[in-house]
Amino acid sequence: MTAGRTWRRTPLFVAGSVAGFTGLIAWHAVDAGTPATAGAGGTGAAGRSRPAATARAGAGQRHAAHRGTSSRRAPTDHAVRTAMGPGVNFGYGTIAVKVTVRGTRITAVSVAALQTLEPTSQQICAQALPVLRSEVLSAQSASVNAVSGASYTSAGYARSLQAALDTLHAW
Amino acid sequence: MSSLSASPGAGRRVPARRAARGRPAPPPRPALVQAALAAAGIGLGVTTALAITTETASQLTAPGGPATFAGSLTGLVGTYLALLMVLLVSRIPFVERVLGQDGLLRWHRRLAPWPISLLIAHAVFITVGYAEAARTGLWHQAGVLLSRYPDMLTASAGLGLMCLAGTISIRAIRRRVRRETWWAVHLSMYLALAISFAHVIVLGPAFVGHPVTQAVWSVAWLSTAGLVLAYRAGLPVIRSLRHRLRVVEVRPEGPGVVSIICSGHELDRLAVSGGQFFCWRFLARGMWWQAHPFSLSALPQPPYLRLTAKAVGDYSASLAHLRPGTKVVVEGPYGTFTRDAQLRPRVLLIAAGIGVTALRALLEDLPAGSRPVVMLRANRPDDLVLGREVRDLVRHKHGQLHEFVGPREEASITGQALRRLVCDLHRRDVYVCGPEGFVAGTVELLRHLCVPEEAIHHEAFAL
Repeated sequence: MTAGRTWRRTPLFVAGSVAGFTGLIAWHAVDAGTPATAGAGGTGAAGRSRPAATARAGAGQRHAAHRGTSSRRAPTDHAVRTAMGPGVNFGYGTIAVKVTVRGTRITAVSVAALQTLEPTSQQICAQALPVLRSEVLSAQSASVNAVSGASYTSAGYARSLQAALDTLHAW
Repeated sequence: MSSLSASPGAGRRVPARRAARGRPAPPPRPALVQAALAAAGIGLGVTTALAITTETASQLTAPGGPATFAGSLTGLVGTYLALLMVLLVSRIPFVERVLGQDGLLRWHRRLAPWPISLLIAHAVFITVGYAEAARTGLWHQAGVLLSRYPDMLTASAGLGLMCLAGTISIRAIRRRVRRETWWAVHLSMYLALAISFAHVIVLGPAFVGHPVTQAVWSVAWLSTAGLVLAYRAGLPVIRSLRHRLRVVEVRPEGPGVVSIICSGHELDRLAVSGGQFFCWRFLARGMWWQAHPFSLSALPQPPYLRLTAKAVGDYSASLAHLRPGTKVVVEGPYGTFTRDAQLRPRVLLIAAGIGVTALRALLEDLPAGSRPVVMLRANRPDDLVLGREVRDLVRHKHGQLHEFVGPREEASITGQALRRLVCDLHRRDVYVCGPEGFVAGTVELLRHLCVPEEAIHHEAFAL
């Protein structure tokens, strides 16, 4: 078969590439903008939505739900209680967050367990975790912005923290 | 003795028996070809976009960000192109019938440097990016990547194998190594791709935490592996078990040229056109582990099959010493150098040297009275192998035969000769078969004579 005939078909290949490229970019843009898909994050499968968005939206929903039942808060308002969140797999490792509350105030938050797949994730965690900690203390909830460049870690951190807060029924 | 000498002893020609023989499927419809090409393009677009959607602006501005991004982009695109390269040579009948063997090899050769270069760039970029992010030296980072990242040791070994296979395929080096060495090294490309698959899924930012992407990528690779296994291993095994070919006779045809006649079962079920070839694997000591392509030099005449080969390497030289009874495993038939490709009413067949084998079978496959014009080119009269058979067949088809025998300066096929000898060139498809240089020169000549691309069919014999 001749090269000439094949060359004449290259525009089709190029058109396909452009279509595939713009198609995925467009789908991704639509997908990221739809809040409905963010719920999938709760199962640990982030789907195609960005993990950062997942963490915020998921935590936010739960946050709102608990605020509605805040009257059922524990009677001893000033008791100091501590809870540990479950180890959450965030793709590049597992993270578990420990939280201490006094009444309804988050007084301390720390990382109880951290395992990473490889050194790069370890570095990213080392940079992101102090930022996340101060964000939680100032926001007083698990609904924090993802640290840039550490969206997977942030998402895992937020999920573990929210689960810990849930067990305390404080939020 | 008549033209067909596939059956030893009795060379009687029995045209009626050929009716039972199946014909290979015709080339696929152009719409399908276009769809496949567009699909390949879409895949490339999606893969490129995948690298971009997983990237955020802040990651790009962080230390090492640009290099890491370039690394993941080159990695994804390189891996995708590698997948296309594998598909191209996986012997899928669809690809085979569209491009033809020499066409797809040409594309494979032209495109293969891309995935390898991109994957090397991927390794370099990722190392640079990670080193910048960790503020360490390049070599230290390379060591960390190898020792402390999961599946990175195998991936690096894979890249090493890939570079080796790529280097040995560079034309200047390829010419200096034995075909067998090249083949064995080249085959390790499959191993290289297989062992570097895991690190993509486990570490790739586009895949970690994205089960859908992981699944799509895995399915694409597993199905490619399945196709390769089915068409490069499964089908040949099934065919060989069915036909149970054995060498019956090895017959010298000329200086360094032998015909090998095999016999087998159910050869009438073998759908083959004249001009096609098989990859032959002779199960003899020192030969069983490699398969080599040789054209059928005659249409199958059940229970016989004949190939003719010239001794150019150690391997084809050892063909002359094959013992009758040797078992034969075949892959094929392959090739689009057949009358199915014919568009115009008549044909002109041109062959040089050992290219005459494919021409001989194609000529036999033409309808009686089709008036083909045949041109044979050889340096010496002795090199004009199968000459008598071709003469007989040309007479049978009411065609003309022109022989160009002598040194290249005196007896080459020129534009002048073509115009003078073939007055109805505009009504003929031209089939050219022979060594690469001869084929390229003749095709160029035909273009000058305004023969359109569609009407030129060629098969170059890589020696």
